[in-house]
Amino acid sequence: MRHRRTRHLSATLIAVLGLVALAGPAGASSESIGACISEHLEEMITHGDTDHVLRELREESTQDDLEACLEAPNPILPELNEIIWGGAAFLILFVVMVKKGFPAVKGAMDARADRIRADLDAAETAKADAQAVQADYEARLADAQGEVARLFEEARASADQLRADLTARAEADIAEMRDRAAADIEASRQQAIADLRTEVAGIALGAAERVVQSSLDEDAQRRLIDEYIDEVTGSDD
Amino acid sequence: MTDGLVAGYADALFAVASAEGDPAAVEDELFRFAQALRVDDDLQSSLADPGVPASRRQQIVEDLLDGRAGSTTVAVVSMVVAAGRASRLPAIIDAFVERSAASRNKAVATVRSAVELTDEQRERLTAALNGATGKDVEVRVVIDASVLGGVVTEIGDDIIDGSVRHRLSQLRESFR
Repeated sequence: MRHRRTRHLSATLIAVLGLVALAGPAGASSESIGACISEHLEEMITHGDTDHVLRELREESTQDDLEACLEAPNPILPELNEIIWGGAAFLILFVVMVKKGFPAVKGAMDARADRIRADLDAAETAKADAQAVQADYEARLADAQGEVARLFEEARASADQLRADLTARAEADIAEMRDRAAADIEASRQQAIADLRTEVAGIALGAAERVVQSSLDEDAQRRLIDEYIDEVTGSDD
Repeated sequence: MTDGLVAGYADALFAVASAEGDPAAVEDELFRFAQALRVDDDLQSSLADPGVPASRRQQIVEDLLDGRAGSTTVAVVSMVVAAGRASRLPAIIDAFVERSAASRNKAVATVRSAVELTDEQRERLTAALNGATGKDVEVRVVIDASVLGGVVTEIGDDIIDGSVRHRLSQLRESFR
């Protein structure tokens, strides 16, 4: 629609310019008053004698024609031949313009419109691309922030776990060392008690053995043998 | 527990003693010799030493038993020593004694004591062991100072220990 209106406006402008260019100034090519009257008189003389000329002069139509010669030419309306030549020139120019100029202008306008449209499309595309890039960037930024937060959380959790593990291990080691030390102490104590008991028993038994040997006289030996015989006899019962 | 070699030698000795007509005397002499051999390690090593010629070992036996044992006893001991079985001689003699006692339907009870038993004690102990084992027991007393006091009786694989040494050992164990 806009192109069509542009085309009509261009055609009208070209026609007006042609009219102005081709039309001469009003009356530039018209005859003078005298020439006009002479022309009328010569025409009347050509067609009759003096009487006829006088009659013609008395007629009102002739007077109107002669008065018309006295009237000034129309400053706006050109002469007929000018209109014909100007119209013909205008038509030719118009046809030429329609056939040649207008397509060229139209092509240039279309090309410009297409280029503008392409530029607009490219701008739209670039804008969409930029928005996509921006969205992608924002998404990546959000992802990166989320990843950073996740990594930070993981690192903190790992640190907490490591601290807990180290603490538990240290406590376990301490408990184990404490238990081991207590067990060692207890074992050493038991061993010392056993050694002492063995030592004491050895000393006591050695002393008892010596006492027994010295105290086992003939009567004691006989009594022990008799007791043994009695025990064997008793076990038989 | 006797193995085949010990049992074989015991049977041979018993056959020789029986053939000579007085197995009880040989049994008693061999028993005493075995006890002497057990307490004298030097004698046992000399008789068992393969580096000493057999004739020399037999000469030791003859010198040792000369006047203390009969010719049959000397002959059988000399035979075992010459055969190089002196280290097994105590076991062979024990098997022989059991074999000989078994031939009389008796079981041998080896009684160890620090002092000699009186005849009355022997009779009572024999009666007590007969009752305890249900066998006709023949008591053979071995004087062993390590017993300290009391008596240890061995009948086959059974041991009845009533010695002071055993009681002291039990007391020592109780302290551990």
